[in-house]
Amino acid sequence: MGKIVAIHSYKGGTGKSLLSTNLATLYANRGKGVALLDLDFRAPSLHATFKISNSEYWLNDYLNGVCEIRKVLHDLSQTYAKRGRLLVGLANPSTEAIREMTAKDRKWEMKALGRLLSLKNSLLSEMGLDYVILDTSPGLQYSSINAIVSADVVLVVSGMDISDIKGTQRMIDELYDLFEKKTGLIMNKVFVDLLESKTQRTDLAKKLINSYNLPMIEMIPCFCDILRTGGTTIFANDNPEHPFVKTLDRVATTIENL
Amino acid sequence: MSLPRKVDPIQITLLQKIKESLDRLNEKIEVMIEIQKHGQHPPMQNGLPDVLDVMTLLSLPDHLRKTAVTLCKLDHATADEVADQTKRARAVESGYLNQLVLMGYVKKERRGRKAYFYVEREENQNPNEMKEPWERS
Repeated sequence: MGKIVAIHSYKGGTGKSLLSTNLATLYANRGKGVALLDLDFRAPSLHATFKISNSEYWLNDYLNGVCEIRKVLHDLSQTYAKRGRLLVGLANPSTEAIREMTAKDRKWEMKALGRLLSLKNSLLSEMGLDYVILDTSPGLQYSSINAIVSADVVLVVSGMDISDIKGTQRMIDELYDLFEKKTGLIMNKVFVDLLESKTQRTDLAKKLINSYNLPMIEMIPCFCDILRTGGTTIFANDNPEHPFVKTLDRVATTIENL
Repeated sequence: MSLPRKVDPIQITLLQKIKESLDRLNEKIEVMIEIQKHGQHPPMQNGLPDVLDVMTLLSLPDHLRKTAVTLCKLDHATADEVADQTKRARAVESGYLNQLVLMGYVKKERRGRKAYFYVEREENQNPNEMKEPWERS
């Protein structure tokens, strides 16, 4: 049985979508079957990354009970995966769809949770995929908590900013722990000076593990050359030898062994 | 009084029906007793039963949350099936599931001798659910 991995963070801009997209691609390049789903209905982004402006069905439709999940998925294996399968489900980026999704009531959210929970059966059991990666909205809101409850593993991404660290700590105590989720921490965009020597890296990791009380999955340095691409390409495909991609490859292995 | 040697099949069916009715009646009485004992009414929002969404799940005590999340994942399940997942005793899960039924978050239905629990997600609510438990037909 495969795994559902939710990538979440307290604040926006921590690199969830970049990590989700590249992680999904790395798994596909290892020959795995992967579905990458954009659950950030307030600020959809994967349609831009994969340059798809029109979709017959969106994830919004799946959660509304309009269609089955297969109808939503775009098979992008030919373009983006070297070996395996890369299927992508998009959130509708139109203002009207965003407005509609923000106005849903609790009953709808409960049904949406049911639809997300059934992905384990439809995508992992029936379609035989190895990974479902859920790119979520930041913070504590329905769509992201629904994703967390549906996931087998949660990767929480945090920057070094104190507001991010404090908020992430609270989420760990008051959200992930309550749902008894396997959770790992990725510190992203860490100032390179803090990671120069082995001693520095070990000290910082110890400090973070103690304050978060979570296993540290990885500390990823801040790379300006990733920012320079402006998210127009899949970084892992174009720069397989880049230290960011090597680090993310270790993350992929860690999740595989969880 | 001695019973006739051969019981008429119609009589057996009738007796079974009576037994089932008594079982259902018994359950309703138990619910009434529990509600009176704890002064507990199913949570209502704008006159509608409350829903088991993630915010409700977060607000539940730990022991009930575990049962409720497991039931959400299983969709329809018996107390045995929930206990298999949570690694807790069947009797414990049965107690927690019935408590969730009393709280109005979970529904229970009998199929033959087994009781199945589930979270109501259908658009069309059973009109019975708008009534107090003892008013239901």
